[in-house]
Amino acid sequence: MMNVGKPITRRESITKLLKLSGGLVLSGAATWSVSSPPAAKATSQDKKFIIEGIGESEGYSIKELTRKTFDAVGGIKQFVSKGDVVVIKPNVSWARKPELAATTHPEVMESVIELCQEAGAKQVRIADNTIHDARRCFAITGVGMVAKKTGSDLIFPRSSLMRNMKLGGNRLDVWPVFVPVVEADKVINLPVAKHHSLTGLTLGMKNWIGAVGGSRWSLHQDINQTIVDLAQFFKPTVTLVDAVRILTRNGPSGGSSADVAVKNTLILSNDPIAADARAAMLFGREPGGLGFIRLGQKWGLGTFDFWNLNHKRVTT
Amino acid sequence: MKARHLVWLRRLTQALFLCFFLFLLVESRLPQDIYSDYSLTFSTDQDLRLNLPVKFFFQLDPLVGLSSLLSGFHLIKGFLWAAAILVMTLLLGRVFCGFICPLGTIHHAVGWVKPSLKGSRMIRANSKTPGQRIKYFLLIGVLAGAVLGLNMTGLLDPISLLFRSMALALLAGLGTALRSAFEALAHSDVKIFNLLSYGAEILVAPIFGYSNQAYQTAWFIGILFLIILFLNRIRPRFWCRTLCPLGALLGICSRVSIIRLEKYPQKCTNCNLCQKYCQGAASPHAELIWESAECLSCFNCHNVCPEDALSFRFKFMPKTNPKPDMGRRAVLGGLVAGVSFPFLGRLDGQIDKVSNPRLIRPPGSLPEKDFLELCQRCGLCMKVCPTNAINPTLGEGGMEGFWTPRLIMIQGYCEYTCTLCGSVCPTGAIKEISAKEKIEQPIKIGSAYIDRGRCLPWSGNAPCIVCEEVCPTAPKAIYLKEDVIIRPDGEKIAVQLPHVDLKKCVGCGICENKCPVRGRPAILTMAAGESRSLKNQILL
Repeated sequence: MMNVGKPITRRESITKLLKLSGGLVLSGAATWSVSSPPAAKATSQDKKFIIEGIGESEGYSIKELTRKTFDAVGGIKQFVSKGDVVVIKPNVSWARKPELAATTHPEVMESVIELCQEAGAKQVRIADNTIHDARRCFAITGVGMVAKKTGSDLIFPRSSLMRNMKLGGNRLDVWPVFVPVVEADKVINLPVAKHHSLTGLTLGMKNWIGAVGGSRWSLHQDINQTIVDLAQFFKPTVTLVDAVRILTRNGPSGGSSADVAVKNTLILSNDPIAADARAAMLFGREPGGLGFIRLGQKWGLGTFDFWNLNHKRVTT
Repeated sequence: MKARHLVWLRRLTQALFLCFFLFLLVESRLPQDIYSDYSLTFSTDQDLRLNLPVKFFFQLDPLVGLSSLLSGFHLIKGFLWAAAILVMTLLLGRVFCGFICPLGTIHHAVGWVKPSLKGSRMIRANSKTPGQRIKYFLLIGVLAGAVLGLNMTGLLDPISLLFRSMALALLAGLGTALRSAFEALAHSDVKIFNLLSYGAEILVAPIFGYSNQAYQTAWFIGILFLIILFLNRIRPRFWCRTLCPLGALLGICSRVSIIRLEKYPQKCTNCNLCQKYCQGAASPHAELIWESAECLSCFNCHNVCPEDALSFRFKFMPKTNPKPDMGRRAVLGGLVAGVSFPFLGRLDGQIDKVSNPRLIRPPGSLPEKDFLELCQRCGLCMKVCPTNAINPTLGEGGMEGFWTPRLIMIQGYCEYTCTLCGSVCPTGAIKEISAKEKIEQPIKIGSAYIDRGRCLPWSGNAPCIVCEEVCPTAPKAIYLKEDVIIRPDGEKIAVQLPHVDLKKCVGCGICENKCPVRGRPAILTMAAGESRSLKNQILL
């Protein structure tokens, strides 16, 4: 689908674009003609798993923890193949500093991107349709720095990248979708675990609200069904919930370090319901008590009874 | 130096300053690729700031500095630049007009590209007219008004006028036009057009941004600017000769300048080339009396004179140049206008009685009276606002506050940790504050209230908590109370009803901006509760 052979940086892509007089390759707008939806392709995923990575030692390295978590299911190579275009969907919706736990931890993002690049990904993109002004979100949450350090493409959300798509959900039929999130070979969902006053918690499945445009504020009128509708449309290759620190109150925007609890945990799963269910327990919540988890299981997106899956626990 | 070289030096300087002005204008915003700047991204306790001196041309402008000093007793940051310009004018005449002023350069270029007048008609158009006294009238008017506390300088000051017109009308308008063209391409069935549209977007976005900027009353600002440009077809540099109050100020200062036009009438063959090319209608003809106050220091006359009957020479004191031709009526008229405007402007009671409830000023704004003494209406805060919330007023601020900034929450909102507007305000009408100050004091710009008739859960239509979700304060100023409502179809549902805690609300307006109730949002922001005013408070 892309017309270049090796990973290219954002700057190179612009130069290339100029040469081709307006473009085939550019940050985000690429791949007009996408052939297949980014459904989870069957490798080892036929078998559902859930991995908990826990940093137990003082001053553990997040990078090492991320690597170990992926290694527990045979490494990221199981999900990312050579030449893939990988899109990372973090939650960087709010212009908040990383320590306030309103956004995905930049080190987790960086580690995942590096792993993807090691696995031979052609290009890694970071895409999120932010709530606050995107420029300020990118700068303050640290995602901008991650993009710069790793040479990945940070896609600026804009109206021209929203396209009406058929979601075929129960409540949402046609809705504008932030196209870079779907136009990729592999999608990695990288949410942060936070409190939310309407759904109780915002975890992996709710993160897809940041992958659509339109008047998404009206989704809250039937929030559990719309979350499930979005989750059945955006099927990530894998979900990694960042619970290095979680926001326990005043979510989802937070703003006070008093509301932050340190959990030093990463949860990796190819079952979106299981990942959310395990993360919910970090807040002391019963997974079945959360509407979108219950509804998601009912619609067959996965199971919150994650003890029956291939369940592993790794520590550093 | 030969006159020819001097003219080329002038053209070069003009081009450089105009380009620098346009560059700073475009850069007066958070860059799209801000993440490539390391220093900004990780030092999170440091506020996001622009690295370029975007206020430079305002600091260079003596009228901005002088009017701020007269009305607000405030020496603006970087006023030494303006002082240097004044000293330069005292020595060399209106060099600022001829060499530096970007608006002057634009007029110069417009008159040069396609002159509307030819031959003797141009010579006549370049003769001095009594109309050139109008600029003194305007200068005295705005300065007298400034002394009495109404600073309307920015409406006429060339730098403010140019920035406002460019940023709010021209740049925004061009961006909208280009982007709609790309959208047309993107919707085309021809694939190459689709690809081209993306490519063009990447090329255009660094200048115009990724979204269409909206500015209320910008159409009016744009039309005025076009009219001012059009005036060049009546007389070249009509604005500079007839209307510019800064030109008038510099003209008065040029009285003692030591660079003077020397004339040798015996050599003159009356070819009138000097008159034809004179930019300022300053009577360069050898048989007329040269007027230093009108001379824009373009050095055209010296350059074109085929007989060397004219030349600029350094001549020292004690001889002074001719008195600026102000005319008694212009002086007296200016004084009367300047004295009456501040009082007429206050008749609407905006300051003393009741102010417009939707007049929400940017965070860090001074109390209204002090604010009006300093605001130049230049539009820098509006250009820089990342959410496009800051707009020029029409009537909301009264006549006194025409085109001053106010926040329109349905267009944008005040981002909780953003303090860019204050950091770029050239005169300090909006104080430079840090995000820490903004949060901890807190600096409130207003307060929100819920329209229960429209609110989805309050009116029994649907559950919704969006205002609470986006509320940025910690703990949140909008809190929820659980209740059971009966929907129109009779079904009972449990909802959470939003309430506003006025003590915590800072009036940022994100709730109004994100409220799913369109048209008129169900939660509205008012200026009441703004911390800059002791009077405009709700709570004790």
